[in-house]
Amino acid sequence: MTDHIVLEGVTRRFGAHTALDSVSLRLPAGSICGLLGRNGAGKTTLLSLIAGQDLPSEGTVRVNGHSPFEHAATLAGINLVRDNQRYPDDFDVRNVLSIAPSFLPHWDAELAEQLVAGFRVPRGRSIKKFSRGQLSAVAIILGVASRAPLTLMDEPYLGLDVNARRYFHEVLVRDVAEHPRTVILSTHHVEESESLFDRVLIVDEGRVLLDAGIEDIPDLAFAVSGRDDVIRDLTADLDVLRLQTVPGLASATVRGRADTEFIARAEAAGARILPVSVADLVTAYGTERTPEEARA
Amino acid sequence: MFTGTTPLFQQLATRLADDIVSGTYPEESAVPSATDLAVFFDLNPATASKGVNLLVEQGALYKKRGIGIFVAPGARELLLAQRRERLRADFVEPLVREARLLGLDPVEIERLVRDTIAKEPS
Amino acid sequence: MTSTLLTTAPTIAPTSTLGTHSKGLTMNPIFAVTRLHLTRRIMTFGLPVIYVGVVALLSIMISLISWRAGSQPGSEGWIAGSQANPGLVWALGGFLGYMGVASTATTFRFAITLGSTRRSFTLGTLLWNLIVATYLAAVLTALTAIELLTDHWFIGFYIFDIFILGYGNLLITFVIVLLGTLTLLTVAGVFGAAWIRFSNRGPILLGIGIGLVLIVAILILIPQAAEIAAAFRPWWLAVAAGVMIILASLGSWRMLRRAIIR
Repeated sequence: MTDHIVLEGVTRRFGAHTALDSVSLRLPAGSICGLLGRNGAGKTTLLSLIAGQDLPSEGTVRVNGHSPFEHAATLAGINLVRDNQRYPDDFDVRNVLSIAPSFLPHWDAELAEQLVAGFRVPRGRSIKKFSRGQLSAVAIILGVASRAPLTLMDEPYLGLDVNARRYFHEVLVRDVAEHPRTVILSTHHVEESESLFDRVLIVDEGRVLLDAGIEDIPDLAFAVSGRDDVIRDLTADLDVLRLQTVPGLASATVRGRADTEFIARAEAAGARILPVSVADLVTAYGTERTPEEARA
Repeated sequence: MFTGTTPLFQQLATRLADDIVSGTYPEESAVPSATDLAVFFDLNPATASKGVNLLVEQGALYKKRGIGIFVAPGARELLLAQRRERLRADFVEPLVREARLLGLDPVEIERLVRDTIAKEPS
Repeated sequence: MTSTLLTTAPTIAPTSTLGTHSKGLTMNPIFAVTRLHLTRRIMTFGLPVIYVGVVALLSIMISLISWRAGSQPGSEGWIAGSQANPGLVWALGGFLGYMGVASTATTFRFAITLGSTRRSFTLGTLLWNLIVATYLAAVLTALTAIELLTDHWFIGFYIFDIFILGYGNLLITFVIVLLGTLTLLTVAGVFGAAWIRFSNRGPILLGIGIGLVLIVAILILIPQAAEIAAAFRPWWLAVAAGVMIILASLGSWRMLRRAIIR
């Protein structure tokens, strides 16, 4: 399979601030990929570059073999509504629905109407006056109804209530199943979307720390917990991503796979080995480096 | 809805198998499409397909092109046979291990099982 | 437990027939941008006319004041005074400047989100500017025609039959408004682009830059000022407008090309 998205040595600086730091990655077509990381980790910058809405300071971005920036044919197949998207003054949802088909070749007007009703977004009120949740709904409507072969969603959960979130998942899963495409969804709320992903990218401080298929996660890390001295002893030579302690007890998230020898040692010492979830991994990578190390 | 220890597609397959065995989906009846299952359980569509395909490969489900997925004739018996095979490994062996750890001898273990069967309302 | 969950699964199925494809509506990317601007109908077609109306009303007020002050409608002094009044330019010019800045500044981000290139955005905006300019030229030409037909509104008020609109020559009126509006909108567009590209300091620096260029040009040309004035032909203005429109569009494109969206 040819790679859908290829980034090579991509750095993006804004003045003195480095938002992305020599990122290289390859993503295949047709997955729902979770772009995970804390606020300010570089998620929106990464999405912007993939969407051709921005140019890297260094390195190259390719989508289907083309640099997407100013490449009309490539841009027509990409949709990214940013989490802080601005709309023209006094634009309402009716305006958005009427202009979208002029730009978006795969736009489904009927689906868009259905989503507007489903999210109960007011059609005639100025978008400027929308709540955070309503803004997210408009972004989701644009993203899903665009049917763009590469649909990028930037923090779609912001401000959504439980019902809207549930509805969003229902709509996204069904539409992607019926009209397969690549979705990259950025979020810092991992738990609520974890089961949707077949691939995850974890970014922190402008670097991609993890790029893996969901089936590989059990091989990437595990957790071991028990008496603190036992845990320290067991993990002394291992790559510990995160260590949590309370007096007498410790839990370590360790990079790699627990081999049979380690499992035997752990069991003998009375420690428990547990699989990690994607949320655990994000937390572990997010706290991996101390600020001093990160700056170095 | 699903827990973290086994892969999601396997958990979905297990659920479907449970429902076939219990008779929720009789033989030759349609089961929900992979898309509906994905939507319902909040799963990636590919994951749901993988779960359904696992049962198709085992012969418990079969696909009718363009119509849907159906429970195969003999699926219940097939799944029951699989479970019988696993009964020893999944339940009996752990039981014996635990009983021995507690110091029960084989006679006592046998009695325990018989008593439990006797008390079970049939 | 598990079976009850699964048996209810199909009940949410009715959402499955989500929409049908409505292909074939996608436009040429440049026209799509023009249409995006046109979606703001009140801004495009309503406000300019309202503004012309307000300016006309002000002209009438001024005429009434000078009437009360003793000037006679239709007298030579009255006509000369009315026709020389440049108020229309300042009032309408200010509004068109705002319109040009706003059309670029508030629409660019959304156009990019919809997949427009920066080049298409510049060209589509230029086309929209042309539509607005043509529309306004038609409106003002029509009003001038009515003014002439009604013998200056039956009283002798000179609102559109004025020096700055070509003394009631309808063709000249149309060309002046068309080129003037187009120039104002595109030049203002550069300021909007400068704001997107360099935020607040963009328009300030651009303004200072243009001012400096003009001063230098005047310094160079001032010794020949008398000759230039003698040789001046009105079509020079049309050429100057054309040059400014082209330069402004290129400038907008250059700035938008590297503009960061945040």
